[in-house]
Amino acid sequence: MMKRIALLATLGFILAFTACKNTGQKSDDAKMHVVATTTMVHDLVKNIGGDRIKSDGLMGPGVDPHLYRASESDVGKLSNSDVIFYNGLHLEGKLVDVFDKMNRLGKNIYPVADTINENNLVPSADYASSYDPHIWFDINLWKKAAHFIADKLSRHDPENQVYYQSNLKKYTSEMDSVQKEINSLIDQVPKDKRILITAHDAFNYFGQAFGFEVVGLQGISTASEAGVKDVQNLADMIVKNEIGAIFIESSVPRRNIEALQEAVKSRGFEVKIGGELYSDALGTPGTEEGKYTGMFFHNVKTIVKALK
Amino acid sequence: MSIPQIEIQFIAIIVAVACAIPGAFLVLRRMAMISDAISHAILPGIVIGFFITQDVSSPFLVLMAAATGVLTVVLVEIINRTRLVKEDAAIGLVFPALFSIGVILITRFAGDVHIDTHAVLVGELAFAPFNQLIINGNPMGPKSLWVMGGILVLSLVLLGVFYKELKISTFDPQLAASLGFTPVVIHYGLMTMTSITAVGAFDAVGAILVVALMIVPPAAAYLMTQSLNRMLVLSSVIGIAAAIAGYWIAHFLNVSIGGSMAAILGFIFLLIYFFAPKRGVISVLMRRKQQKLEFSMLTFLLHLRNHSIENSNPEEREVSHLTDHFQWTSKRAKEVLEFAENNNMIRIDDGMVELTDKGYSFTDEAMQYILTDKKNELESMKGRFLLFRAE
Repeated sequence: MMKRIALLATLGFILAFTACKNTGQKSDDAKMHVVATTTMVHDLVKNIGGDRIKSDGLMGPGVDPHLYRASESDVGKLSNSDVIFYNGLHLEGKLVDVFDKMNRLGKNIYPVADTINENNLVPSADYASSYDPHIWFDINLWKKAAHFIADKLSRHDPENQVYYQSNLKKYTSEMDSVQKEINSLIDQVPKDKRILITAHDAFNYFGQAFGFEVVGLQGISTASEAGVKDVQNLADMIVKNEIGAIFIESSVPRRNIEALQEAVKSRGFEVKIGGELYSDALGTPGTEEGKYTGMFFHNVKTIVKALK
Repeated sequence: MSIPQIEIQFIAIIVAVACAIPGAFLVLRRMAMISDAISHAILPGIVIGFFITQDVSSPFLVLMAAATGVLTVVLVEIINRTRLVKEDAAIGLVFPALFSIGVILITRFAGDVHIDTHAVLVGELAFAPFNQLIINGNPMGPKSLWVMGGILVLSLVLLGVFYKELKISTFDPQLAASLGFTPVVIHYGLMTMTSITAVGAFDAVGAILVVALMIVPPAAAYLMTQSLNRMLVLSSVIGIAAAIAGYWIAHFLNVSIGGSMAAILGFIFLLIYFFAPKRGVISVLMRRKQQKLEFSMLTFLLHLRNHSIENSNPEEREVSHLTDHFQWTSKRAKEVLEFAENNNMIRIDDGMVELTDKGYSFTDEAMQYILTDKKNELESMKGRFLLFRAE
């Protein structure tokens, strides 16, 4: 019996190690294969790569990147990819370590957050080495990410450089006009009412860009639980500042925010749930919210409507 | 099949066997849930490791995880030793405590840093082939294949060396103690190995699949065999089968590989639970029904013998009398009669039942065994006399 198991194990080893000698085979399709992790990064890649690339996203809509589970087809997507883009700043958890390894073996893998100067990143209070990863909520930072992706695509596919750069131009000017519209929308909210309370700490960059004070009920990692004291403190703050609305998020369960609403109610103040914001993932593909710009509009409209 | 696909299946196979070995002993020692406990209780180890290194990708965190796994076992053992609570309760006391310490530490000191078990242990088979071991810039194959391969080899060596000790201390701790090797040492050795395997496998395949691979194959094998040898082999075979089948089902349905493997494990267990030759639910039910019918026939034959022709009173031998005397339903009475007649135990003549010669010698022998209380002989006698067994 022992011999049989031992034999099986050795056989497995030999086969496995002879098998993995030649990694990094080229994709058979003539187009460059690009893989993106989150829906936000994938949206950028699609906008810039257009129809000259074949792109795949790993995480689906409504999927919390912290809790993403791979499906079998992700294996093929990763192994057949020519270029991989991910958000970075630990948003993708342990996947980043895997990417680091693949990168060291010559795979073209880029965290879009790399292009952003550390001064523009929101640091995490306790550990200097960690930054808030939700950079897409600052349109200016996300434009830099767009440039970054266009540069990398051009580098690996120089034939289509002109195409990528013209897409980039088109898209950044679209982002500019979106930004303008959003600014005028946000002007409807009085300065003293710009307090945004959400399910988890995803909107720091948004707050920085548009002058909101941002409070998340949960920490950055959605795996941590909201403490009782957090709920109580927040409830006190809502009552004190007479905040009209708090917000749920598409990729975070709503019960914590509902608990907060109850806590406020018990203090004799009424706070409504202002609506659902997209935080860590875009909406369903094909809808407006399935695009970065549409998602941003949805969020801002929801916030403005509830707080003005 | 692409290379990563092959690699994933090999990793799964090796993890399956590596988990089956300690798993078989856990199941036999009735402490299967310790594997679940370990996979939860490693969180504080990871968090404390992070506080020390300030780096989520340090291998030190994995070591800390394994150490907390062992700590879990030690604490369970200490509580268990007091005899104030049962083993399963002790497990239930320890791991939520440790897990909650981890959660509290995160929320209190690292609320805005991405740290949880998934930040340290990959726990996703789909990524395992991309997490290569790199030496001098060359890929040497998936890291988890090496780690789990090493753990498996260590496990097999320890199993080979301490097989007798493990066996005796599992089945008869008192005998083990009297033979001069302390069951405590074996116990902690086994538990340390379990902890190391659990953490290594957690990194390779994820928490749920670790628990599934440690418990389900041995639990299923336990229904199929009573020998430790065969149970170990069978557990490994079941684990391997589920790993391969699970992978391909995940491939065709495009779902989580680990989830699919765990589901297949559950399915295999269900099949064995119902259809295992001796201990399966169906065979137990059938055996019970058979015994009931055979017992009814025996009572009936003994009754006939008491009221045989010489002892007169023909009423007792009427077919219609059966339902009154034994309070059987007419269906039951018919079943028993048919069964006895098919086995040539009785003759039915004009509504009157009579024992055949075979019926006489059958009851003769049966009475002897009943009077001397020899149940086993009674069973084996049925095998000799009955042409047809009840179904």
